[in-house]
Amino acid sequence: MRDLLPLIQNETLKIWKKKRFYVILLILLVLIPIFTYAQMRVSQTNAVHFKDWRNQIQQQITDLQNTLASDRVPEEWKKYDRIEILRLQYYLDHDVNPSSPDAVSFTRQFMASSVSLFFPLMILAIASDLVSGERSSGTIKMLLTRPVKRWKILMSKLVALTLYVSLAIVATGAVSYLISGAVFGYGGWTMPVFTGFGVQGGTIDASGVHAVPQWLYLFMQSGLIWVSCMTVAVLSLMVSVLLRSTAASIVTMMAAVISGTILSGMTSSWESAKYLFSVNIDLTDYLEGVPAPIDGMNLVFSLGVLAAWSAAALAVSFGIFTKQDILN
Amino acid sequence: MDSSRLWRILGTGSLAATLLLGGGFVYAVQDMLGSGSGLTAPAKKPVLAETGGSFAAASTIYVTALGDSLTKGVGDNTGEGYVKQVIKGLGQATGKPVQQINNLAVAGLTASELDEMLEKDQGMAYPIRQANLILLTIGGNDLFRTALSQAEEGNASDISVESVASRIPEAIASFKSVIGRIRAINPDATIAYAGLYNPFYDIPELKEGIVPVQKWNDEAFAVLSKDPHAVLVPVLDLFQLHGSGYLSSDHFHPNHEGYERISDRIIQSLS
Repeated sequence: MRDLLPLIQNETLKIWKKKRFYVILLILLVLIPIFTYAQMRVSQTNAVHFKDWRNQIQQQITDLQNTLASDRVPEEWKKYDRIEILRLQYYLDHDVNPSSPDAVSFTRQFMASSVSLFFPLMILAIASDLVSGERSSGTIKMLLTRPVKRWKILMSKLVALTLYVSLAIVATGAVSYLISGAVFGYGGWTMPVFTGFGVQGGTIDASGVHAVPQWLYLFMQSGLIWVSCMTVAVLSLMVSVLLRSTAASIVTMMAAVISGTILSGMTSSWESAKYLFSVNIDLTDYLEGVPAPIDGMNLVFSLGVLAAWSAAALAVSFGIFTKQDILN
Repeated sequence: MDSSRLWRILGTGSLAATLLLGGGFVYAVQDMLGSGSGLTAPAKKPVLAETGGSFAAASTIYVTALGDSLTKGVGDNTGEGYVKQVIKGLGQATGKPVQQINNLAVAGLTASELDEMLEKDQGMAYPIRQANLILLTIGGNDLFRTALSQAEEGNASDISVESVASRIPEAIASFKSVIGRIRAINPDATIAYAGLYNPFYDIPELKEGIVPVQKWNDEAFAVLSKDPHAVLVPVLDLFQLHGSGYLSSDHFHPNHEGYERISDRIIQSLS
C-alpha cells in the first residue's frame, strides 16, 4: 500500500498535466450555455402559449392521449406514452411542476439526459489513452522497468481514473448549476420531485411513490451516474490495454456506447440485447420512472449486468497487463 | 503551482467527490429497493383555478376546447381546425383579446369516453375553470365509429341507418352527463357546441343517415336549451349538398375550408 500511493499521485498528476480535464471543462463551458439558451427559448414559447405550467402539462397529456388514439403508433411505444401520462398526471394531481425552470431542475435534467452519451464521451477523453498512450509514446518501458509490480501500476491508473470520473461528474453538475442559474435563478433545491414509480410491463405502480427534495434527488441521481460512468471507465481501460492505438480505442468504445443508445431505441424486438452493458447504462431512468427499454430489466438487473461487465473487464485488463510482453 | 500542492488539492477534492457520489449511489439503491425509511406519497392537492367568469362581461376571452377529432382539427392540412379560426375571428368580431387556454380534444373520443375523462382526470378541471368560452364537439364517434371501421374493412353496405339511430339514446345520456360535469366545474362559461353533420351524404345508401344525425342534433339541442349560457351551432346543412368540397381526403373530417365554415357559424352565434 505504501508504494501504491506515490504511484496514484504520479498518475493523477500525469492526467492533469496532459490537460485532459481542461478539455472536459472547455466542452462543458461551450455546451451548457447552448443548452441553457435552448431551454430559455422553450420556456419563453411556453409562457406565450400557456397561462401557467398546469395548462402546459395538461396539454402535454392531451397530446400523448392523441398519440395513443392513433392506430399507426406501435403498441410498444404506446407503453411509454401511457406511463408518461400517468407520471404527468401524478405531478398535476399533487400540484408539483415537473419541469420548473430553475438551475437545480436544469442541472438534474441535463445530467439525466447526458448519462447515455455525453458522460461516456467525457470519460473516454480521460480513459482511452491511459495505457495505449504510454505505448505510443514509448514511456511504457520506463514505467514497467521500475521496481514496482505491474498490477500496482495498472491499479494506480485505475484509482486515478476513478478520481477523475468523480471530478468530471461533480464539475458537470457545478458548471451546469452556475451557468443556468444566471438565467433561471439559483433556486429549486427544496422543490419536491417524485420518485419510486414502479413500472411493470405496461402499467405503473404508484404505491411506492414518494417525494424527495430536489437536492436529495440530485444526490441519488449523481450516485447512479457515477456507477454508469465507472463501468464505461473500466471498459475503456480494458480497451486501452488491448489496443495499441489511442484512436482505435476511442473509436471502439464510442461504437459500443452508441450502439447501446440505438438498441435502446429499437426496444423489445431483440430481448437478449438486455445483457449488453450499453443498454443498461441509463440507471437514472429507474429513479425517474421511465420504463426500461426491454422487458425484464430493472435496477437490480442493470446493476448486475454492469457489475458483470466491469468485473470481466478488470479481469482481462489485469490478466493481460501483467503478462503481456512489451515489444516495439 | 508545484506538484505536491496540486496533488493535495486534486487528491482531496476528487476523493471527497468520490465519497459523495458513492454515498449517493448507496442512498439511491436503498431508496429504490424500498428500504427508504417509510416516506409515503404526499396527499393529493387539487388546485382550483380562478374561474374565467362570464363570457359577456369578460375583458379577455379565454377559450378551452374539448371534444373529438373535429376540435383537434383532424383533416385540416394547415393544422388550424375550427378552434384556431374561431380564436382569430372572434378577436376581430368582438374587439376583445382572445386567448386559448388549452385544446383538450382527443381524436376518436366518444361522449361516454369524454364523460369518463371528466370524471377521473382531475387535471382537466383546471383549464375548464379558467375558461369563459368552451368549444365542444362530441357525438360523431358514438354514432359513426363502428360504421366507419366497417367501411374501412370494405363492408360499407353493412352500415345501416338503423344502427346509427340505435346508438343515439345511450350517447345522448353520456352527452347530458358531459354537459352536467362541465357545468359543475364551470357554471358561468358559455358553451358553444357544434352539432353533427352527415359525412356520408354523397353515398346513396347512406343519404338517409342524415335523419338520425338531425335527430341527435335535436336531442342535443334539448339538453343545451335548458342551459342559459349554452348554444348549439348547427353545421348539418354545410356538408349536405356540397359536402365533398368541404371534406378532407378521409371523407369524414372537414378540410380547411370546411372548418372555416364551421368557425364562421360559431363566431356568428357568439358575437
